[in-house]
Amino acid sequence: MNAFLHGEERRAKPPVLKGFEHVRRFWSPRNGAWTAKILPGEFFVTNNDEVVTTILGSCISVCMRDPQLRVGGMNHFMLPEDRSTGVSSWLQGPGGLATRYGSHAMESLINELMKLGAARERLEVKLFGGARILSSMTDVGANNITFAREFLGLERFAIVAEDVGGSRPRHVDYFPASGRVMLKHLQALSAPAIASQESRYSERLGQERSGDDVELFG
Amino acid sequence: MKIMIIDDSTAMRMIVRKTLRVAGFEGHEFSEFDDAKKALAAIKASHPDLILSDWNMPNMTGIELIEALAKEGIKIKFGFVTTEATPDMRQRAAAAGASFLIAKPFTADSFKETLGGHIK
Repeated sequence: MNAFLHGEERRAKPPVLKGFEHVRRFWSPRNGAWTAKILPGEFFVTNNDEVVTTILGSCISVCMRDPQLRVGGMNHFMLPEDRSTGVSSWLQGPGGLATRYGSHAMESLINELMKLGAARERLEVKLFGGARILSSMTDVGANNITFAREFLGLERFAIVAEDVGGSRPRHVDYFPASGRVMLKHLQALSAPAIASQESRYSERLGQERSGDDVELFG
Repeated sequence: MKIMIIDDSTAMRMIVRKTLRVAGFEGHEFSEFDDAKKALAAIKASHPDLILSDWNMPNMTGIELIEALAKEGIKIKFGFVTTEATPDMRQRAAAAGASFLIAKPFTADSFKETLGGHIK
């Protein structure tokens, strides 16, 4: 394959915004663009013509962009299991560990977009993921979908497109500049590997402790 | 006590309220604002005892708010509840006269520990 067939010459790597230097970016001939790959628990925001990609099992990704400024980004998260209350939902009150963590993941993305000048009321939202691929008693994917929809509803964001639930993992390419999404449902064969990556992420969430979260001055 | 919560996110304001309850702080008078500019006007009018404010907000940030209060000589206990908490931000918060900074996602325990001395 040569670059000509894809109609895109490899361009210079665009600068990365502060705080996102750890995200791996590669030139994707298929996307004809530099592509940032985010892992569970990460997010990425850009004001350049590049793509954000991820693979989702039961995790969820919220894509957001300001169409006027052509800036946007994507997160990738799941709710930690709250051992005190079970996986909580807004219906059970928004104080649980799960909602705090999920809201944090959402707010981190929104804050970075606002720093680039994006306006809350202009943000265009797409939602992906939340498949049932882990063999646990609770449907983690469904809980993640419920949380995301409830959070977005509470914050008055309209979801303009979504592909959620089901039993197959997803590969998502998001083009923040245009809002375009290329989504592929993966074979169930790939589910165990994705599930094990998500389990490690989930365990890590369970172990995260407070300690660094408070500072008293003077 | 009159406690004011300032956060542009509705979800976050709900979470802060709920966490305060879980941490055992009940029977207080709460007010909520989604905009620091509006909050500034309300603070001058009603003088809350404690302000819990987000940092990153459109129109006016939390640090701009506390700096504005200091400039006008208004002394109110002020704590940040924020998603981002770089060393720079912590330093600036302390310099502006903030009493504490709680980084999200916080726990009810960290609320209890931090606010115990401030909420009577």
